[in-house]
Amino acid sequence: MASAEQSPVTLQHHNLCSRVILLARKIRSDVASLLESYVERQGLDRTISLDSVDGVPVAAMEQGGELTMAEQLGANLQAYRAFQALLGEVLEEQRSHLTPLDTDFHASIQAVLLQVAALAYQLEELLALLGHSRPAWEAAGPEDPARRSLFEMKLRGLKVLQELAHWTVRSVRDLRQVAKQPGLSARGG
Amino acid sequence: MWDNPSLRCLLAITFLHLLSLIYSQETGFPEAPENLKCITHDLNRMICSWDATSSANLGLTYKICYTNSEHFSLVCIETEGKRADIPVTVGSTNIRITTLNASGTSLATETFVLSEENVSLIPLTPQILNLSADFSTYTLYLKWNDSGSVFQYELDASWQIQILRKETLETVALMNYDSKLTGKDSILSWNWTSDIPLECTSYYVKIRCYINEPYFTGRKEWSEWSPIRTVPEKDTKPNSAMVFPQDKVVLVGSNVTFCCLYNEGESIKFMNYGSKSYPLLRLNKWSSAIKVQNVSASISSGTNVWCLLEPDGLEGTVLFVGYAPDTPQNLNCETRTFITITCSWNPGRATALYRQRQTKYILFERISKENVTCKVDELNKEHYCDFPVHANQKIYNFTLGASNPLGQAESSLLIDVNQRVHLETPVKFTVSTNSSTNAHLSWYIPGNFIQIRLLCQIEISNSNSERQLNVSMAGAENSNYRAWVDALHPYATYTFRVRCSASEHFWRWSKWSEEKKLTTLEAPPARGPAIWRERSPVGETLTVFWKPLLLSEANGIILSHEVSCYSREIMLKAHEVPVPLNSTEIKLGGNDCLISVVAKNRAGSSPPSRITSMDLPSDDVKTELAIAAGNGIYISWHSDPNVTCGYTLKWCISSGSEPCNVDWEMFPSNATDAVIKSALFQPGVRYNFSLYGCKHNGYQLLQNITGYMKELPPKVAPNFTVEETSSDSILVKWEDIPVEDCQGFLKGYILYFAKGEKGSSKTSFTDEENKTEKNITDLTKKSLRILDLQGKTSYRLGLRAYTVGGIGPSKDLYVVTKENSVGLIIAILIPVAVAVVLGVVTSILCYQKREWIKETFYPDIPNPENSKALQFQKNICEISKLRQQLLPASSLRPEPCRVPPLLFGNGGNTALKTLEMNPCTPNSVEVVETQSTVLKIEDTEIISPVADSELPEDGSDPETGSHVVVSYCPPIIEEEISSPPIDEPVGSSQVIYIDIQSMYQPQVNPEEEPEINFVTTAGYKPQMQLPINAMKMESHSPTEEDLDKTAGYRPQANTNVWKLDSPDSPISIQSNNENGSFGSPCSINSRQFLIPPKDYEDSPTHNNTGWSFTNFFQNKPND
Repeated sequence: MASAEQSPVTLQHHNLCSRVILLARKIRSDVASLLESYVERQGLDRTISLDSVDGVPVAAMEQGGELTMAEQLGANLQAYRAFQALLGEVLEEQRSHLTPLDTDFHASIQAVLLQVAALAYQLEELLALLGHSRPAWEAAGPEDPARRSLFEMKLRGLKVLQELAHWTVRSVRDLRQVAKQPGLSARGG
Repeated sequence: MWDNPSLRCLLAITFLHLLSLIYSQETGFPEAPENLKCITHDLNRMICSWDATSSANLGLTYKICYTNSEHFSLVCIETEGKRADIPVTVGSTNIRITTLNASGTSLATETFVLSEENVSLIPLTPQILNLSADFSTYTLYLKWNDSGSVFQYELDASWQIQILRKETLETVALMNYDSKLTGKDSILSWNWTSDIPLECTSYYVKIRCYINEPYFTGRKEWSEWSPIRTVPEKDTKPNSAMVFPQDKVVLVGSNVTFCCLYNEGESIKFMNYGSKSYPLLRLNKWSSAIKVQNVSASISSGTNVWCLLEPDGLEGTVLFVGYAPDTPQNLNCETRTFITITCSWNPGRATALYRQRQTKYILFERISKENVTCKVDELNKEHYCDFPVHANQKIYNFTLGASNPLGQAESSLLIDVNQRVHLETPVKFTVSTNSSTNAHLSWYIPGNFIQIRLLCQIEISNSNSERQLNVSMAGAENSNYRAWVDALHPYATYTFRVRCSASEHFWRWSKWSEEKKLTTLEAPPARGPAIWRERSPVGETLTVFWKPLLLSEANGIILSHEVSCYSREIMLKAHEVPVPLNSTEIKLGGNDCLISVVAKNRAGSSPPSRITSMDLPSDDVKTELAIAAGNGIYISWHSDPNVTCGYTLKWCISSGSEPCNVDWEMFPSNATDAVIKSALFQPGVRYNFSLYGCKHNGYQLLQNITGYMKELPPKVAPNFTVEETSSDSILVKWEDIPVEDCQGFLKGYILYFAKGEKGSSKTSFTDEENKTEKNITDLTKKSLRILDLQGKTSYRLGLRAYTVGGIGPSKDLYVVTKENSVGLIIAILIPVAVAVVLGVVTSILCYQKREWIKETFYPDIPNPENSKALQFQKNICEISKLRQQLLPASSLRPEPCRVPPLLFGNGGNTALKTLEMNPCTPNSVEVVETQSTVLKIEDTEIISPVADSELPEDGSDPETGSHVVVSYCPPIIEEEISSPPIDEPVGSSQVIYIDIQSMYQPQVNPEEEPEINFVTTAGYKPQMQLPINAMKMESHSPTEEDLDKTAGYRPQANTNVWKLDSPDSPISIQSNNENGSFGSPCSINSRQFLIPPKDYEDSPTHNNTGWSFTNFFQNKPND
């Protein structure tokens, strides 16, 4: 009886994980092509150093402590919420300053932005399904976008897209781990 | 001038005097003042200073006395220092300086005469009031006080401003600035733009002055440099590294310098403009720069410039490179609604700058002095501006200003708004009708047009026509406008649309409104249908035909046709025929009547069409041929004066198995020809026409016409056969081609014939080169005999028919002519007869010349035994011995010489040439082998050398250099060794003495000599014997050989020698070449030929009597 009760939830969990993975892979694919057009339109080089650009969630895992599944999902969710805001800024900067006439390019950024929002929403759903509380929205960064130079805007946009691509890889890996979690119950691990 | 000694003396004195005035007289006191120098800053007072030794006397003072130029009084002042401030005097003045000690005692006095030339004008050192910088434009702004109040009058002043940069104070610029001093203090300003951003390094400025007083004769010098001023730093100095200029906009083609500022502990690795790295210019310890020449237009996001720093850092900026705005082109201002004036223009060359950097447009109206900012839709590249229409203003003077960070431009336009009305597109367009010819139209135009009249154009079109109708109407405010159109065709579908403009001052049409379709109502048919009738052969029934009315004539949908029969205005019968039938049959019952046909639609009936049923008799109706006109059929006829109501040409076109469709055309009475066109006419099809004349009492058939729209070549070849064949002719017969296959009027036939056998590779007569053509234009002729042919020969025949349209296909036959038997017989008989005649003639000739022949060929031969001339036995014996040596042992056995032979040598021992008739007993030579062997040896000699060579198989005559002709003369003595009987066996030996003479000297090799000698010793032989043996060596029968061998002496006229073989025989050829002379009769007393060899050389050709049937038939007698 217990397994019969858990099956629909487990199935829903697996389905949701699959959808998140699928969406993350889709975002990665779209961001890869967006990156190509981005560097072309901004006159940048993919190999340019972006270390000086801060304020963008970095996908690289910190060495040391292992994160729990909830923490992993929470970190993913926070990252995509940040990317949602960052992509909005990038889009606005492109529209207002850098590529005002390139509406196709704007549409590409907009499409990725919507997918990131959807991914964040699905992660929230997954967290809720697993019985974890959603992390609160973090306040926007202290930096005033108006004070950025155009070159900084370009670098920041590039870094946003690069890190978003990295995050999608990390999310796929994290979600696969979540999906494989043994003995996953409706309450979550 | 200088040559004058008195003048030179005067100048010297003057110079010395002046020196004495300037410099004090040497008094010898050390406290005496000297070296007086005076300068002025304001041309009012001057500061004079001098040198004097103070020595140990302290408390010295100086008393300066000078003459006041205003009061001409002596003024003295005392001073402790060695300088004094005294007024500037015009001209020269005496200054006496007395050195006083502390007690007031004069220690020394010097008097100076100071002229203006010795005073220096040095302006006061200027002071920079303000130095500011505009970092965005790299500009320094400098302000200072000109201190003009120092001088009481206007003066020209020059200022020199020095710009220095870097810590090393390198001079960047030294600029001059001129101004005019007005007697009052003024603040002067000046600016300077740097070629590199001001942030890149430190800048310093200093200034000095120069007063140009034209009437001051002293020295005028620059002032001291002002204290140096440093360019203030930017308020927001970055804490981190930065690249300058930041986000700058420059013109295409500019040279731009970028600098990278970095912090302590950092160094720059490289600096890029776009993707290219540039060499670094070190500005100072923390700044490096690159210079980019002639920059090109950037992409919309700008060109990146960045520097990579060590150990870790990346800083950059974006440069936007574009163009200043172009002058707005095609500026056009017009009103659509009289509410606003809309101006539009073409921006010209793109600036490559967008958003904040894009071109901004401002429309300024000079009369009302109002301006509006214009909208620019960069995406749609639309540039327009709306300016409000003022109530009492008609004239507007617009100036459109364009500006962007790189420059500005403008364009102007003056308009009268009433003359620039471009109405909006009419909307709410409707069309309606309630009649068959009229329509009502309505539309709406937004705007206030009360002050003007409108001109609207209505376009009415249908499938056939298009017309435009202009309507003028009073303008209204936001109103509907109406119009109606007439003269429309009933039951026709029209398409309407409308556009409008100002009526009085046309400027532009509005756009067309949307299209509306309308179909007018039906009306009765405009005219009756075209009708025709045909009586049945018996005349009992009449078939009435009519043509459907055109759409433009029907005025609606034709529902039926009413056919009536009138006799004397009384309708006998009538019936209605529904569509789509277009004929009906009426039974006349023996009475003629007037047929009336009326077309009916929903709106009514057409006027009736009438035709009489009466046919007039006609006789001797001819059939004429029409002319194909390509697109129709041209028909002509003779005018008939009795035809009063026109002609009718009727024809019938059948398609397949269906009954033919009757068609007709009517022509006026004066017409005599017409080109009949029909879409149903097809090329190559024959059509028959009947021409009727309309006379007052009925129709009469005048003539029949047949013709083609376009003639084509016959479709098939005529059928033809060979009726008769002989050895030299063929009779060919053919049949007519069916009319449907002719595809045109036949013009004739072309008969081809040529030699050829069935199965030859040639497929048509066009390939045949030796063909013969016969053109048969007489169409009544159905056969043709081909003459002059060769017997027993295969011929190929072809027959084609042709029309004006071309030649039809061909049909081919192969025929073999019969053999010519008479010719064959003649060919046999003639040679036989010729041979007989020749034989008879020869016999007669021989008979008549028998004596001569006998003398020539059978002379009396004397007995050699009675001759004493043959006494050379010894020589003969020697020859016999020699022969024995040469002959192989197996074939010869020495015998005692029994008979002394008579030898006529021709190349051997010269001793043999002398014929000495010495008696001897010759040794006999016994030939052991058979006669044939011996003969063969002799033959070898005769044939040699040609006989040994291989003869050509074809019997041709090889012309070789070793060609030898051996002549033969009759022997003088013939003596048989023994006296064998005639029937002696073949193997018996004999010794024959012969004399052989060659016509040409043979080339005899030494090796051949023995053989010759051997032959020489062969003894005599009848001269006719050798050729026979030589020529017929292979085919000779043994019997003949025996006969020849035993024949002994033979007369020279042996006819066998003269026998000539066929030229085909190789032996014959051989004999011709080598042994021809053997056939020559030769005198017994002479060694010369009676018949020259030339005759023999020619003889084979002349005597060739070879004959073959083939040659005969081919008529080549030479073959």
